[in-house]
Amino acid sequence: MQKEQILQAHKLLGKFDYQLGSLERGYSDRTLYVNLSTNEIAEKPVSLETKEKFIGGRGYGLKLLWDGVSGTTKWNDPENELIIAPGPVCGITQYPGTGKSYVVGLSPLTQTVMDSNVGGYFGPLLKFSGWDALEIQGKAERDVVVVIDGNLGTVRIEEAPLEEINSHLLIEQLTEIYADTEEDKANISVITAGDAAEHTLIGLLNFSFYDKSRQAVRIKQAGRGGFGTVFRDKKIKGIVVKFLGVKGNLNHPADIGVLNKTGIKLHKEIATLDDSQNKMRKIGTTYLMKIMNDYDILPVRNFKYGSDPEAVNLSSDAFCKYFNLTGHDGCWYGCTLSCAKVIESFKLKTGPYLGTEVIVDAPEYETIAGVGSVCGIFDPEFVIECNFYCDTYGIDTISFGTLMGFIMESYESGVINEEVTGGLQLNFGNSSAALEVLHQMGQGVGFGKIAGLGVRRMKQFFVDNYGADPSFLNDIGMEAKGLEFSEYVSKESLAQQGGYGLTNKGPQHDEAWLIFMDMVNNQLPTFEDKAEALHYFPMFRTWFSLLGLCKLPWNDISPANNRTTDEPAKIPEHVQNYLDLYTGVTGKQIDVKEMIRQSEVVYNFQRVFNLRMGFGTREHDRIPYRAMGPVTVEEYESRAERYDQQLQQFLNIDPSEKNSEEKVQILRNYREDQYQQLVDSVYHRRGWNKQGIPTLETVQRLGIDFNDLVQLIQEKSE
Amino acid sequence: MRKLLTKEELCTGCGACEQTCSQTYFKENNREKSTIRITDNEGIKITVCSQCGSCIDICSANAIYRDKSGVVRIKKDLCVGCLACVGFCPEGAMFQHNELLEPIKCVACGNCVKQCPTAAIALEK
Amino acid sequence: MITVNGRDFPWEEGLTVEKLLQQKGYTFPAIVVIINGNPVPEDEFYKTKISDGAEVKAIHLIAGG
Repeated sequence: MQKEQILQAHKLLGKFDYQLGSLERGYSDRTLYVNLSTNEIAEKPVSLETKEKFIGGRGYGLKLLWDGVSGTTKWNDPENELIIAPGPVCGITQYPGTGKSYVVGLSPLTQTVMDSNVGGYFGPLLKFSGWDALEIQGKAERDVVVVIDGNLGTVRIEEAPLEEINSHLLIEQLTEIYADTEEDKANISVITAGDAAEHTLIGLLNFSFYDKSRQAVRIKQAGRGGFGTVFRDKKIKGIVVKFLGVKGNLNHPADIGVLNKTGIKLHKEIATLDDSQNKMRKIGTTYLMKIMNDYDILPVRNFKYGSDPEAVNLSSDAFCKYFNLTGHDGCWYGCTLSCAKVIESFKLKTGPYLGTEVIVDAPEYETIAGVGSVCGIFDPEFVIECNFYCDTYGIDTISFGTLMGFIMESYESGVINEEVTGGLQLNFGNSSAALEVLHQMGQGVGFGKIAGLGVRRMKQFFVDNYGADPSFLNDIGMEAKGLEFSEYVSKESLAQQGGYGLTNKGPQHDEAWLIFMDMVNNQLPTFEDKAEALHYFPMFRTWFSLLGLCKLPWNDISPANNRTTDEPAKIPEHVQNYLDLYTGVTGKQIDVKEMIRQSEVVYNFQRVFNLRMGFGTREHDRIPYRAMGPVTVEEYESRAERYDQQLQQFLNIDPSEKNSEEKVQILRNYREDQYQQLVDSVYHRRGWNKQGIPTLETVQRLGIDFNDLVQLIQEKSE
Repeated sequence: MRKLLTKEELCTGCGACEQTCSQTYFKENNREKSTIRITDNEGIKITVCSQCGSCIDICSANAIYRDKSGVVRIKKDLCVGCLACVGFCPEGAMFQHNELLEPIKCVACGNCVKQCPTAAIALEK
Repeated sequence: MITVNGRDFPWEEGLTVEKLLQQKGYTFPAIVVIINGNPVPEDEFYKTKISDGAEVKAIHLIAGG
């Protein structure tokens, strides 16, 4: 379809002209509000109090959402919002991993506040266009695009009937339409979802960037939480930002010299050491596959097992055969860690685009484990095809993989059968059946519609409609708070169980990844040690979400002398780099203590937000037993030696005197009790009461003792 | 291929080349803005771009290219100042200055060659 | 008997760091090994012997997800 034809069909619904300003020390101090029900577009100033308390990024998103919704707002009410916020350090070009932004809104999966991080150019270009956040509320009547031009100072809502919905086509169309020339494409970033985002609750958002070397539009994902579903529910087809003139000083930093120096230092570090460390520049995050498998923590067959002899077929070597590398595969300028691998041409074997050769933003570890080993499928080309279709259809590969694992185990256990699945034999390993479910999600038909509900609602559906045993499903359904687990086996690490269960958003590993520290290095032997780690690491990682930073350059590369420092797991030199970047941009001096405190403010605010939405207390921090230990005898016996030894060591029980069923139950009682004790320790360390509600003292200390918040805490606390 | 050739054993460290370079491109006598650098840490070293071109593929903005005479150049309007080229240059011959948004490198203009009293540097065409 | 990361592990005559890592299945390429508080350089893993009763730390420097 021609560009002119598409544009001619656009109908202008709303327009807003604004004064182009400039950023000051990382901030514009205003946010952009767009209401799709009324077509109102407005500029909202950011108060000094908000700026000081919420910093930016996820913090701004949470504050805007708190003010925009009520405790009873549903994800598909017009009041729900989609907020995209970068953060004060976002957009500098000198240091790797500084292009991130956060999407915040109410999630269809968890029914409460969700946050999702994403790379690509949208965040920085939004910022340079003059906005600390984009806040979208309301719903359009028919599909629209929202277009922000940061050089002209205009925002437009345009009805857009003719463009595609699926991302791989739409991103090219929108970039083509709004670019003045081929060169101009690099100045555009678009946000899109896809067909399956409309038919499932696991929709994601794709954020694009133009790859000049390949002359193709590529995407990064705000994967978790179902924001693509909210996007399509609001009848947004795409959001476009256009800005020409990226330079390293657009944030008007307080001290650009610090940014330059720190950036060059890290570039040099990556240039000399990446090859002997994780090889991110060559293989991206695929390096994790072999390690997880070797250490028995790769999720296999719905997290039943931790390794498989066939896992070698999904190793980084297997995928590298398909990757096409350039010297700069970062998702924002200046990221020399360059982890965004790509497959330039892959011929699709299934689905509506069968036979076409497409560019695939290459599988990350999460996708490989999620749709691969979790489903018992060890075929790299299946993973690539699945990755492509999930991206273009606009659904999260992690949720897709984990829910398929649940479906496959349910099928093999007889909970559901071919009648339910419409003839699909959804055994572990059946890649064509898995792809069929994915295509059904794209069309909104068949079993795909049920699968697209996600694990939590599927469990209820199976109980209500097929007489399934709810306790078995609760044991094997890998979801917590309504969100599917990401792809790490927490079974043998109590700290990681906390790392998944005690998050604000649900079991995404962006708060804490403690498996090795705990399980292998045994550096967190006591409850206090674990609680301390479950305080420090989530707060440390939350900080990145306030600033617009990617965590990979923090610890996926480390300085040569890191191993000789006191706490190598924290990569102290890099922590200092980040403090320096913050000072370099904002002019404010902070130390690690202040960094953690800034995060605690936002983290606790988010915890209370959950409370406001009807969650946020201890019972919602439960995790399925599959994440804690062997549910079945089969699982117990796959690690009998280890489990028998634990019965002996911790419980003084002679395993030879018990049968397998008894041992499963004894171990279970022990582990469930351990988890509850961990929860107690962590709540105490975080300044929460026994129900998991932040105490009055805590919210006062953090300066979020707003009237409505205090009232809420008092009402809900026993 | 056009580039600078060096003979470190002839260099006396007089700094005339650095002066000429910064004067030519920045109208200042400031070795920090020269794209040829002379250092002396137990022996004189001449650091100047050999036009190897490693930076071309590193550039995230596709701003670096090789011109018809083989000289590697930066398109300033496309450069976003990420300084990846500075960090990755195998010779340390891509330079950065805090007053400049884009890095600088030798473009083999030959002005410094004309000023060198000992013919320690020469221009290969 | 030795301890590895605080857990008991059987000792044998001629046990080197390299052999220990093999026996434990520790294949990760960046492991800091410390014996009785003394770090062992990586290029000496193959020849550094571990004595009976030693306290060994094998700290994996892994970033993870």
